[in-house]
Amino acid sequence: MASYKYRDRGTSIYRLNPWCKLTWIGSIVILALVFDNPFYLLLLFLATLPMVLSAKVMREWASLMKFSLLLGLMIIVMNALLSNRGMDVLWQSPVSLPLMGTIRITLQAIVYGIGQSLRLMTILSAFTLLIFTIDPDDLLLSMRKLKLPYKAVLVSSLATRFAPVLMNDAQTIIDVQSCRGVEFDRGKWFSRAKRYVMVMIPLLSNSLDRGVQVAEAMESRAFGSGQDRSFYREVQITSSDKMILAAAALPCFTGIYMCYLGQGEYDYYPILGSLSLSSFEVVMVLVLMLLLNLGFFLMYLRRRVLIDQD
Amino acid sequence: MIRIDDLSFRYGGSSQAALCDITLDIDDGEFVLITGLSGGGKSSLCRCLNGLIPHFYGGKISGRVEVAGLDVMKHSTRELATSVGMVFQDPENQLIAFDVEREIAFGLENLSFSPDMMAKRVEEVLDAVNITALRHRHVDELSGGEKQKVAIASVLALYPSILVLDEPTSELDPKGAEEILALVKRLNDEMGITVVLVEHRLERVMAYVDRVVVLDKGKVVADGSPQSVLDEKKLSRAGIGIPPLVALAHGLRDKGIEINDIPLTVKEARAMVIRTLHGKNVEDCVISEKRRDRNVQDQPLLEVKGLWYAYSSDLVALKNVNLQVYPGEFVLLMGRNASGKTTLVKHFNGLLRPTKGDVVLNGINTKGTTVAKLARQVGYVFQNPDEYLFCDTVDEEIAFTLKNIGFGKTDIVRLTDQVLDRFGLMPYKQCYPHSLSGGEKQRVAIASVLASRPSMIVLDEPTRGMEYGLKVQLMKFLDDYRNGGGTVILVTQDVETVVEYGDRVILLSEGRIVVDGTKREVLSRALLLSPQVNRLAQSLRGNGVRGDILTVAEMLSVLP
Repeated sequence: MASYKYRDRGTSIYRLNPWCKLTWIGSIVILALVFDNPFYLLLLFLATLPMVLSAKVMREWASLMKFSLLLGLMIIVMNALLSNRGMDVLWQSPVSLPLMGTIRITLQAIVYGIGQSLRLMTILSAFTLLIFTIDPDDLLLSMRKLKLPYKAVLVSSLATRFAPVLMNDAQTIIDVQSCRGVEFDRGKWFSRAKRYVMVMIPLLSNSLDRGVQVAEAMESRAFGSGQDRSFYREVQITSSDKMILAAAALPCFTGIYMCYLGQGEYDYYPILGSLSLSSFEVVMVLVLMLLLNLGFFLMYLRRRVLIDQD
Repeated sequence: MIRIDDLSFRYGGSSQAALCDITLDIDDGEFVLITGLSGGGKSSLCRCLNGLIPHFYGGKISGRVEVAGLDVMKHSTRELATSVGMVFQDPENQLIAFDVEREIAFGLENLSFSPDMMAKRVEEVLDAVNITALRHRHVDELSGGEKQKVAIASVLALYPSILVLDEPTSELDPKGAEEILALVKRLNDEMGITVVLVEHRLERVMAYVDRVVVLDKGKVVADGSPQSVLDEKKLSRAGIGIPPLVALAHGLRDKGIEINDIPLTVKEARAMVIRTLHGKNVEDCVISEKRRDRNVQDQPLLEVKGLWYAYSSDLVALKNVNLQVYPGEFVLLMGRNASGKTTLVKHFNGLLRPTKGDVVLNGINTKGTTVAKLARQVGYVFQNPDEYLFCDTVDEEIAFTLKNIGFGKTDIVRLTDQVLDRFGLMPYKQCYPHSLSGGEKQRVAIASVLASRPSMIVLDEPTRGMEYGLKVQLMKFLDDYRNGGGTVILVTQDVETVVEYGDRVILLSEGRIVVDGTKREVLSRALLLSPQVNRLAQSLRGNGVRGDILTVAEMLSVLP
């Protein structure tokens, strides 16, 4: 069963300092926003795969990707229908429609949609790693280091902690109401949505009860004593962590520099730009790909060293 | 040391006092059991001990509560946290962190202990509670009992001298409950921690405690050693469940036999019975079975054929289950946690569909129909009625089910009134379901399922965490339903409650049926599953007592 929560699956990526992971994920996200060229975006997407594989979260990743693929298709269709820009018209509606005018589907609009979908999938793929490979407690501590207020961070961490509990509650209520003759899968979407009200009301009232009980339990363990909190575990950064951190940040700077040189730009409109790269550009792209995986190699290298030391 | 003087409390917005003139002294190192009916004020009293009342729950309070030298009115719950550790009912709602170590350290962090100090305390507490093996585990991978142990560890980390536990076992299975109680006993014995425990399964805790306090309607109605409190018959009149061995002693006394000490364990009961048997003969009585003979031509109501069910490729919950249930049977489905009981009964009304095999109900294969359609045939009752009552009034709640399964308007009104009448719910017809008491809510929940007159009713652990009076009420009702021709399938681990009812027991283990037989055959041969009276009977076989006696009444009938 795919479970959408953090679980240590025992590979070395789970031992990695959360800051390294956050930096690497940040690099991917920034680069995905900086580059326009669909080829570059595709490469970025591919660069997330080794991490997904080594974290052993393929199944969870795949099911989230299915969802983002659906979202991507919607973007492509909507963009094709709504954008009138682009020179190569593939199809044009014979009559002008109310509100929408004449629909012109252009090659450029479709390719633009594909580019945007790739960007979305790259970002979501990186976020998968954030959800599945960083211990929520570590994430909380890291956010705390960023000087975010503790209470705000704690509330969001509690929300993550209770999400599976609420999902369970909701499933039970759905089962109960089915036993009372409610057919959740029948009818138009509106009547379906209306049926979920009878799940939401009990779920809400249960959750309020839970909330009060959690507050009681926290209060009973001296929460909010007014003194500064201490932390049981700090996220420690060792010098080898620092090296991996630098390696994780390096591709981001390289990519931004490439952008500064004019690489990775792409014109979708009015006609599609050329995808061919100069030999310098090819070298730079290769370097970038290598850098994106550098942290990864360092991580394994460190493990080997640690094992040898033992 | 706990000193309570003349304490009264009323929750804000309530017209009734939750606690009324309570005066109670608890000495250091005592193990005190607080029991009583729900709504009697047990939880409120606990909340007063660490200042949740009046600091978290507002209301009108008078009197004085002093805990470990601190006046509760003047010190906040946070300040009291290092003196009083509080453990609540639902383990899920007390755990805040994701992993066990950080959970234990949470209280220490709040009080800004140094990392070294925290490491030391965490280590000690892990040992004290004996959960070192769980230290790196994630909280959501733990079983209920393990979670509750972590909750206890997390309050112990603050080194309280008093531990207050408010129904810590009511959400747990019998094994988990047993472990928690043994743990609490050990903490009291070896670490000298004062324990205040709220619990209503008296047969499980009586042997452990030094003192019993019974609360009723906010007042202390009994206070003393377990023997002296159980000696008084007013407890059963107050609706509190008397442990079976105690009931046996009362019964013998009614027969004119002198009983000095009320027995709390099977061992003590055995000594008591041997004393009474001295020089007398065991009466050879024929135990009358309420056997209903099945006609050969009877068609099974429910037929399970070669049922396999897998949640995923590595989690196979049912392995080739074959089963027939005939109309009018009362079946008890028992087994350990995760033995597949719930998975099996969820097939009976189509909530789950077989991975392989068939489930046929009244000639209808569940594969070809919906849960809603099967709802006319099978009533399925879940554990917690709070989870699904959502209408504004009780009669709407019942009409809701009838409307869903396709009854017309006039039928709905007629059937609703009928079922309300049968369940004694008429006075509450226009009430808001959530404002009812626990037992009434359960009755509404069952009524809403039975209004359509299904031929079979399935209940999944309905008595877990329920107080004695309500359990008896529920079981009596099920018996009536069966006597009226209905079929009952009850999933349960609560052998002491169900032993008087039901006629067939099916025992599941690891997804297979291991035993299927009459109640007497199965329950009198099991080791841990046997009720206390049966364990007593088995140990008395050398004295001529039949080994298959199950209930107090049966035992009394064979003793002189």
